[in-house]
Amino acid sequence: MNDLLLLVLKRLGFGLLTLLVVSILIFFAVELLPGDVAEAVLGQGATPETVQAMRDQLGLDRPAVVRYLEWLGGAVTGDFGVSAVSGEPVINAIGDRFVNTLFLAAYAAVIAVPFAILLGIVVALLRNSVFDRVANVLTLTSISSPEFFLGYILILYLSVKLPLFPAIASLSSDMSLGELLHRTFLPALTLVLVVTAHMMRMTRAAIINLLASPYIEMARLKGVPPWKVIVRHALPNAWAPIINVVALNLAYLITGVVLVEVVFVYPGIGQALVDAVSKRDFPVVQASSLIFAATFILLNLAADVGAIITNPRLRHPK
Amino acid sequence: MATFVFGYYAALIIASVILAYVDYKKWFLMVFSLLLVSFVAGIVGGAGALEVITIFVAVLATAAAVSYAFKFFLVLIAKPNLAKELKTAPLTAAFGMFVIFTYAVAGIFAPLIAPHGQAEVISGAFAPPDANMLLGADQLGRDIFSRIIYGARNTVGLALIATLGAFFLGALAGLLAAVKGGWFDQFMGRVADVIMSIPSLIFALLMLSILGTSTWVIVVVVAVIYSPRVFRLTRAVAGNIVVMDYIEAAKLRGEGDWYLIRREILPNSTAPLIAEFGLEFCFVFLLIAGLSFLGLGLQPPTADWGSMVRENATLISFGDITPLIPAAAIALLTVSVNFVVDWMLFRSSGLKEQ
Amino acid sequence: MGKFSDKDILLEIKDLQIQGYSDETWIDIIKGVDLTLHRGEVLGLIGESGAGKSTIGAAAMGYARDGTRISGGSIEFDSMELTTATEAERRALRGSRIAYVAQSAAASFNPAHKIIDQHTEAPVQYRIQKRMEAQEDAIELYERLRLPNPEEIGFRYPHQVSGGQLQRAMTAMAMSCRPDLIIFDEPTTALDVTTQIEVLAAIRDIVDQFNTAAIYITHDLAVVAQMADTIKVLLKGEEVEQASTEQMLKSPKEDYTKSLWAVRSFQRPQKKRPTDGTPPIISVKNIDAAYTGGVKVLDDVSFDVYPGMTVAVVGESGSGKSTTARCITGLLPPSAGEIQFKGETLPPRYTDRSKDQLRQAQMIYQMADTALNPKVQIHEIIGRPAQFYSGLKGGDLKQRVDELLDLIELEPSKYYNRYPPELSGGQKQRIGIARALAAEPEFIICDEVTSALDQLVAEGILKLLDRLQKELGLAYMFITHDLATVRAIADEVVVMQHGKVVDQGPKDEMFTPPHHPYTDLLLSSVPEMDPNWLTTLLEERGVDNVGEAADV
Repeated sequence: MNDLLLLVLKRLGFGLLTLLVVSILIFFAVELLPGDVAEAVLGQGATPETVQAMRDQLGLDRPAVVRYLEWLGGAVTGDFGVSAVSGEPVINAIGDRFVNTLFLAAYAAVIAVPFAILLGIVVALLRNSVFDRVANVLTLTSISSPEFFLGYILILYLSVKLPLFPAIASLSSDMSLGELLHRTFLPALTLVLVVTAHMMRMTRAAIINLLASPYIEMARLKGVPPWKVIVRHALPNAWAPIINVVALNLAYLITGVVLVEVVFVYPGIGQALVDAVSKRDFPVVQASSLIFAATFILLNLAADVGAIITNPRLRHPK
Repeated sequence: MATFVFGYYAALIIASVILAYVDYKKWFLMVFSLLLVSFVAGIVGGAGALEVITIFVAVLATAAAVSYAFKFFLVLIAKPNLAKELKTAPLTAAFGMFVIFTYAVAGIFAPLIAPHGQAEVISGAFAPPDANMLLGADQLGRDIFSRIIYGARNTVGLALIATLGAFFLGALAGLLAAVKGGWFDQFMGRVADVIMSIPSLIFALLMLSILGTSTWVIVVVVAVIYSPRVFRLTRAVAGNIVVMDYIEAAKLRGEGDWYLIRREILPNSTAPLIAEFGLEFCFVFLLIAGLSFLGLGLQPPTADWGSMVRENATLISFGDITPLIPAAAIALLTVSVNFVVDWMLFRSSGLKEQ
Repeated sequence: MGKFSDKDILLEIKDLQIQGYSDETWIDIIKGVDLTLHRGEVLGLIGESGAGKSTIGAAAMGYARDGTRISGGSIEFDSMELTTATEAERRALRGSRIAYVAQSAAASFNPAHKIIDQHTEAPVQYRIQKRMEAQEDAIELYERLRLPNPEEIGFRYPHQVSGGQLQRAMTAMAMSCRPDLIIFDEPTTALDVTTQIEVLAAIRDIVDQFNTAAIYITHDLAVVAQMADTIKVLLKGEEVEQASTEQMLKSPKEDYTKSLWAVRSFQRPQKKRPTDGTPPIISVKNIDAAYTGGVKVLDDVSFDVYPGMTVAVVGESGSGKSTTARCITGLLPPSAGEIQFKGETLPPRYTDRSKDQLRQAQMIYQMADTALNPKVQIHEIIGRPAQFYSGLKGGDLKQRVDELLDLIELEPSKYYNRYPPELSGGQKQRIGIARALAAEPEFIICDEVTSALDQLVAEGILKLLDRLQKELGLAYMFITHDLATVRAIADEVVVMQHGKVVDQGPKDEMFTPPHHPYTDLLLSSVPEMDPNWLTTLLEERGVDNVGEAADV
């Protein structure tokens, strides 16, 4: 049991280290700017006084390392400094939006994950049948389409031609859950389409990979019925790859959400990031990038830990 | 309308009877199930639904026919070894190759094919299609058809260059890491981990917001973001090869790293690397399309599929499909490349089982 | 076959044909084989790789592996026709009336479940026993198969149990429903000789006790002689001949069978060390070695190889014989001690050795498949060392390659431009030898060079190596676990166990008693062609003193 704990701790430590390096990367990337943030934000027409005023506001005169440590310290407690454009605290601009994004991603995940894994197992069972071939072509088409293509098609058919769902997902705080789900159905559906295809293909591959193992043949030669071969003999060994598939796609949801949010004008953190990029509002860009990266790293970490824990060889050491 | 419906069912029934008579079970099943589906669709959706089905089947049939002919053509002109492999290609792969070929022609000969220049304003905003403009005009009155043709050159070209960059960086690092091993291998692995732990679109947005959106910045940023994927694959493929006894024999002979890479490892890793190149292209292409959709790709007035979608997006709410055309162009190319890659991967995995 | 009457026929296969799918077409792999098995009879199926033994074994269960199909003939099990039965009917036989024991128990037990849960799966599913009864029965079977801690071993996971024990646990699992027939598919091939014995003894006992019929598939004649009542010899999907074991061993009829028997007759005269003071060509002096992680794998290993002589290094897997080779070639620098070449110390790491030092010691590998780059033409594989060390070019190089191909008895014009995958296993091994010779070495390490080859081919390789030694005056270090090969080719023998040299000396001394206890165990564990060998050995040693439990 100790080995397992050690392995998990090692992995956690490594994840933390990666996060630290990533934060350094995100913070110091801005130092690549010709001039500094104030000049970049205000542009060439700005007077030296206004530039200096912004420098003071953002504390740019101090050494970068000091500012980094402060920024990191703040970030841990949810304080990302102030926006270079509005002067408001960054957390006000992105805090609620992050929650909205998580809601959308969760909405899509709740539909997509069970659906995709089930379908993946089914196509693995029916491999090389007509059903499998059709599913292969459809999923390939789905993962090949840009999110905005799927999004606009859905808008065209489910909103404009058949007015079933709203094309623009505006939210307000007093909506009931039902209304919320109705309003955000199209963006969620777009994400579901993309992610389901990915997950299905990966689940299928993971299971087919296992079906070639000698112990699966042994189970068949013991007279175990096909469904039981999958459920009792393949699945317990497939958890690691499946957990990996799920985590990878949840991570993908978090980023795929950027384009979908723009298509559906959804008030999420992705929109905020895109706006901030076009306005060159660097504190907001840095904060959102860090949040995205942290979520991504966390999910990968969860997948690895899950894979370690479900591995029988590690769980029951010699 | 009545004649169409009558003809539709008559054609299907006659086709199924003939197929049943000549005992083509697979085809009979397909045609007959189409008949049953049409029956339901006809009752529920009326003649309109039947028309949709007709169009859908016709498009599928045309695509299949073109792919079949194109595959036959490729088999005829290819060298014997390649021809033997091409014969086994499924229709989807042949379709993919045909589409890639078409895009290549459109991209290379864009100025000859496009009736107007990509930045040329020739009519009012959002003018409807006419004899001069196949697909109508965009928000500034430029010919959409011409811009789509030029887009094949600009967008695909950019993605291709970025992919080559990513591939060069990643493959070189991967091969060196596999051969050298030790701390170099460890270090490169960690660098790849760090780059891959930032979502690619987010990383691209961050870097482009800082470095601006000139073409070369896009190429370099995208190449760096995607090179770790190539690195990992190359490292894995080469890693399986360096443990072989023939590599040990060459090392013990005293051969240098470069000889090992060039003569011993590369010839054994071409198949997975080519497949990875296709996959990588898809990722890069979608990322670049996404960036330009967000307004951070090629800058106007250069024609670019992603930004064309964004510029014309308002038309969607009037039920106009114009903005979907460049988006479809992106999807079609990506699907095609994926079809070809899928076949190549299937081939290489199929060989392993034997 | 007088022992079994025609009334008791359990399995009757007639004109069985099986095809395999490759290169877009179906190819015949079994071409009309007949087989009759009576209740309680053990039939040995032997043949070289590709003979179709394993495919027939699976077919006896009505099972065709992925990518194969039964294309003709009939399989009648206890008057039930399996080729026309439904999948459900066939499945109902598997595990309950016909059981299967696979080659690699480690890979064939599901890593996610305890051994005993996998054992009880079939009896519980067929409602033969309740779960608890099945568990008690499993423990009893473990005891009968002489597994250590029978009460407890089943509650472990497969990776917590050693290979030989797992193989016995798998035999117990096959017995769980008391089947009429068990298919043993090379059950001891992956095991060391000393472990093999205990598994063989256990299998034979349990089959006897329950009077179960069995098909025993193997490529090892001596093993099958211990196990089978009847032997059937296969070659390329066809039957060569069938006879009772004694008759088969005494007087085989067909030429092919005779050639299989004859293989073990090759022997060459033993050479003595030079007495004129010539230094050994390679001298291993007190080396210790450890892999990263610190576990010591070699402990004070010393031996000498004199010019023109063959030193066989023998031992079971994990004894450190291959690691010693890695130390000599410089792939793994020893942590203590040194390697001397003609009295001069070699740098420990191969990267620090000169071109000439590298040239002098060459290696031939076990798996010719991985030893030759599949994407490089033969002339380049052989020509590269000549080009690299001697700087030959153009016509000279071509001439040298032709010369080398002649040396290894392959027609130069035919093989010059071919690629390794186009060659047979034996031809590939010859190319490997030619590559080593191209460097013009004086010393060659042969790492299990014959163990992946069929016996006839292996014999050819041994003869070739012997001829080359005479013609070119080479010294060999011959790493092997196969004592028959040692008997055939060695001048001196070094026995290794757990990273130590336990015994060494000239071959004749090593093979005549008194032996070192471990040498004795190794020697006595090698199966012999005598059908009574196992019985005699068990009587000598006592059943509880074999294999891992042996008192060394």
